[in-house]
Amino acid sequence: MDLNPPMISLNSLSPLIAAGGLNAPELPSLAWFTNSIFVALIVTVGVLLFTRMATKSMKLIPDGKQNFVELVIEFLYNQVEGIVGKHVAPKAFPLLATIFIFVITANWFGLVPGVGTIGWGETNAPLSIEHMETPLLRPATADLNMTLALAVVFMFVWLWVSIAELGVLGTFLHIFGPKGGLKGALMWALMPIFFFVGLIEVISIVFRPMSLSLRLFGNVYAGETLLATMQTLGTTLGFPGWLSAISSVAFPLPFYFLEILIGALQATVFALLCAVYIKLSTSHEEH
Amino acid sequence: MNDILTTFGLDWGKFIAQCLIVVVVYIILSKYAFGPVLAMLEERRARIEAGEKNLKEVEENMAKAEQKVQALLDEANGDAERLIAEARESSEALRSQKSQEAINEAQAIIEKAREASKLEHQTAMNELKRDFGHLVIEATSKVTGKVLDDGDQKRINEETAGQVSL
Repeated sequence: MDLNPPMISLNSLSPLIAAGGLNAPELPSLAWFTNSIFVALIVTVGVLLFTRMATKSMKLIPDGKQNFVELVIEFLYNQVEGIVGKHVAPKAFPLLATIFIFVITANWFGLVPGVGTIGWGETNAPLSIEHMETPLLRPATADLNMTLALAVVFMFVWLWVSIAELGVLGTFLHIFGPKGGLKGALMWALMPIFFFVGLIEVISIVFRPMSLSLRLFGNVYAGETLLATMQTLGTTLGFPGWLSAISSVAFPLPFYFLEILIGALQATVFALLCAVYIKLSTSHEEH
Repeated sequence: MNDILTTFGLDWGKFIAQCLIVVVVYIILSKYAFGPVLAMLEERRARIEAGEKNLKEVEENMAKAEQKVQALLDEANGDAERLIAEARESSEALRSQKSQEAINEAQAIIEKAREASKLEHQTAMNELKRDFGHLVIEATSKVTGKVLDDGDQKRINEETAGQVSL
């Protein structure tokens, strides 16, 4: 396994590059069960338990958790409805909201102290390691497998929503058909161009999962790298031990706030782009 | 592409496991979170809409009731004014009648008193005339020294009564 890919030059942060727990301890029959999947399961259970507690005995006049969950869901629904329209919103909303809630929770869970910083590595003292090689917990969205899984599941739902809205032929015509309400000879004359544009569209659709997943993975991974760099900056600059200990807390602190913002921003961008893709594929041409 | 994905740790087993996690979250959230919450929001929206509708109906009914009350008040005011006018007319008539009766009664009393007075005056005059006649007879008999008979006395009385005009 390549823990230090050439494209990443921060050798000291090699364990962080092992997104997806490539370097995690692997049990023979549970090779797929990595530290990031473990975190994904924790996030999943946390989100599901919280929402279940909030919605178990719903009241007409909400309070506490129910109020919070209703606030979030109503806000998200209004946003989704505003982008994809009233007709498509009921079909598109569950996945878009799931993506947003899961991604933002996973991103923020990655900022919990200990996630990515407790694990195995070269020890320099009892209960202390020089460099983290295999973290116990890895942020789920710093794993390309997770971000790609989100994107691929979205693409399947996107395809289902598009076909449910326009039909198979309608979806085909939406991609390859004439646009701008052209009719007659001009339409037939421009047909090859429309077909070519359709091919380009198909290529862009095929690459959407990659762009979505790599964007999220890259941002979260970069955030992890930044925090780890700031944490070890004192040591790198040769500070004395006590100053290095203080700087390992003080230097990353402002970037934690930045990462909180970026965690929310990336969840928003991911969900927003998904909503726009649905909108683009389900909007009816005006004839 | 494969090299890039492998470099970044893409593994089919892990990828499928993550897909399953995403699908499970999607299904469970859809069923146990989004469904109930959206249903609750819809129910609340429907209740608010129904409440607004009821409020509008109540307002309309209230306006109608106010109109009805106003009409009843107007009618009652009209009746009251009519009754007052009738009572006023009735009392005026009664007062007039009673006054007239009082006047008549007073006039009757006055008339009666006048007649009684007149009668009494007449009686007194007669008695006076008779007494005066007796005095004249007595004086005449004493002056003349003659005993007057009934014829003389009657003639003297008649002459005296004729000459005395009180």
